[in-house]
Amino acid sequence: MNLNPNFLAAPVALPLIFAALMLSISRWGRYSSLRLQQWLTGIALSGNLIVALLLLAYTLTGKRLVLQMGAWPAPYGITVLADTLSALMLTIGSILALCILPFAVATLDLHRERLGFYPLMLILMMGVNGVLLAGDLFNIYVFIEVLLMASFVLMTLGGTPSQINGGIRYVILNLLASMLLLTAAGVAYGSLGTLNLAQMAQRMDLAPDSIRWVLAGLMFIAFGSKAAIFPLFFWLPASYHTPHPAVTALFGGLLTKVGVYTLFRIFPLLYPTLLVTWRPMFFVIAGLTMTIGVLGAFAQPTIRRLLSFHIISQVGYMIMGLGLATADSRFGAGFALAAAILFMVHNMLVKTALMMGGGAVELEMGSGNLSAIGGLARRYPWLATIFFIAAFSLAGIPPSSGFGGKLSLLQVTFDTHHFTIAGVSIFVSLLTTMSMIRIWQYSFWGKYPGSRATAPPLENSRRRRMILAPMTVLVALSLLMGIFFGPSLRLASVAARQALDRDGYIQAVAPQKLVAQPEQTAAR
Amino acid sequence: MTSTIITIPATSILLAVMVGVLMASGAYMILRRSQIQLVLGLALFSHGVNLLLFGSGLLTRGNPPIFDESRSIAEQIGQMADPLPQALILTAIVISFGITAFIIVLVARRDALTGLDVVPGELAPYLSAVDPFASPYQIQSRLRSSADEDYDLLQHELDEVYDSPDVELPFQEDPGIYADEPES
Repeated sequence: MNLNPNFLAAPVALPLIFAALMLSISRWGRYSSLRLQQWLTGIALSGNLIVALLLLAYTLTGKRLVLQMGAWPAPYGITVLADTLSALMLTIGSILALCILPFAVATLDLHRERLGFYPLMLILMMGVNGVLLAGDLFNIYVFIEVLLMASFVLMTLGGTPSQINGGIRYVILNLLASMLLLTAAGVAYGSLGTLNLAQMAQRMDLAPDSIRWVLAGLMFIAFGSKAAIFPLFFWLPASYHTPHPAVTALFGGLLTKVGVYTLFRIFPLLYPTLLVTWRPMFFVIAGLTMTIGVLGAFAQPTIRRLLSFHIISQVGYMIMGLGLATADSRFGAGFALAAAILFMVHNMLVKTALMMGGGAVELEMGSGNLSAIGGLARRYPWLATIFFIAAFSLAGIPPSSGFGGKLSLLQVTFDTHHFTIAGVSIFVSLLTTMSMIRIWQYSFWGKYPGSRATAPPLENSRRRRMILAPMTVLVALSLLMGIFFGPSLRLASVAARQALDRDGYIQAVAPQKLVAQPEQTAAR
Repeated sequence: MTSTIITIPATSILLAVMVGVLMASGAYMILRRSQIQLVLGLALFSHGVNLLLFGSGLLTRGNPPIFDESRSIAEQIGQMADPLPQALILTAIVISFGITAFIIVLVARRDALTGLDVVPGELAPYLSAVDPFASPYQIQSRLRSSADEDYDLLQHELDEVYDSPDVELPFQEDPGIYADEPES
């Protein structure tokens, strides 16, 4: 199969064009424009999914698709690159957005829709796709800003006091992290003389340890803050419960995982040696992220607050996988990173389904307070079933995808004799199960206290279908992943091998050897 | 690799000190409780980062990055400033300008909603200042439960909004704990 490299512009261009189109018609009529906007969003996201699937099919053969913008050769122009990892993330991101669209249509109020939820959603997708495909550090920064800007507006869309409050914390902590990323870009350009990731990887070998440590530290703090790792996660629980449930579902599945993706991309490519020397630090951070996330969840009184803390807890497992990325297990090199990638995919699917389920319960009851809800299992058995499967997939009970992901991560920790972090992760799984039992028991069992909502979305059969169908799709995907775990692990190991293959990346970006000028680099 | 003696010009030292001062004062002001100082601190911090980017190119005067064909490129390239960091700074300035404007709007909105220029998570000292004998429990109960606060957005009707042609905006500003304060 041959694919035109210009294809790579589509995941960024398509949402942008459709968002611009929708903004220009957003003042038409009272309802007609909204219906049109919903359909246009659906078309744009479906197109995005088709492009992502094509890219995935192309890259799964082990090839990379590279586009040099405007035919400028590699270190001078803008490089856009897709490999299996980015294509996989693109596909899952498009699936999530497509699933959240009907949920948003069914639950959003007219006020928020008219303020431009749909164009903002597309711009957020454009930013996410841009980060996934960017081939140089500055473009990663720019697209992270694009997706943050869209997420700032989505976060405060509606303007309730709690949203403004959470929004300020979210904006400021994310802005600080972005500035650290910009600082990293400045230091990288000053010391290495390039921002192209491939050329940076080449020159990083010649750079002294001090520069490598400074750059790696700055990038770890900046991207780690986006990924909500242990000492940097405070923006997440302060804000994720405040916006509309559809927005929370979109953020919970996508945004922190983009941060984890950049860590998966940057660290094996630029700092393969630091992955080994910094392993104790990765483990300490991963363990603390898991533990504090899950303990924080126990203290929370409402569904979405509880689920936001679980996002943090699950990110810990991915950081653990990153720390093990170069470790040799009995299944060969790259197995740990493959397991971590698969765990990330599982988490995106399941977390979005849970956030949608939790959001539906909150909207239905008019409250997310665990003590004020209950008895939904008898009223909506299908919702209870799906939520149950998703919750236990997150905890890691056998036939689900969470079991496979955690098992393969644990396998590597045992093979490499890191028993402490293995013990911590097992203990956290247990606590996650308890927390999930708590949330399910409170919301679905017990006496139905009566809904405080004036228009419960689940009572309308059409709206109920639009809420439950996408959740069912996501949970079915998660179950399929768990049942066919072998094939999905093979797929993920293609992605992991490509992410760990530095020479292949450099060769793909610049077929002729990039001009490495050690003298000049040192003199700068 | 030949070892070259690198002389650090005074402008570079000045620039490095300026970056440090801007970032330090920005960080200090971000940690203040007042919202205006927070915004100013963010602006200072972003100026510091921009200046750092500026310094990553070569700092020279009167040497535009245009090559003279009569001389060799290798001879000239070490003397002229790199134009790329300036393009990067331009992008960064636009982004930080936009976000700063957005934060100012958010802060102004919160100011309009609460009438306070401090972080609302820190309200307990203000409440106890009103009533010095209040126990922590009483202060707690006077604060609206944050769990209730999440559901302001649910206080409107979906179907009704869709069906009736004329309906007021769904979000009524809830005066909350400030209900008994006189309007200023």
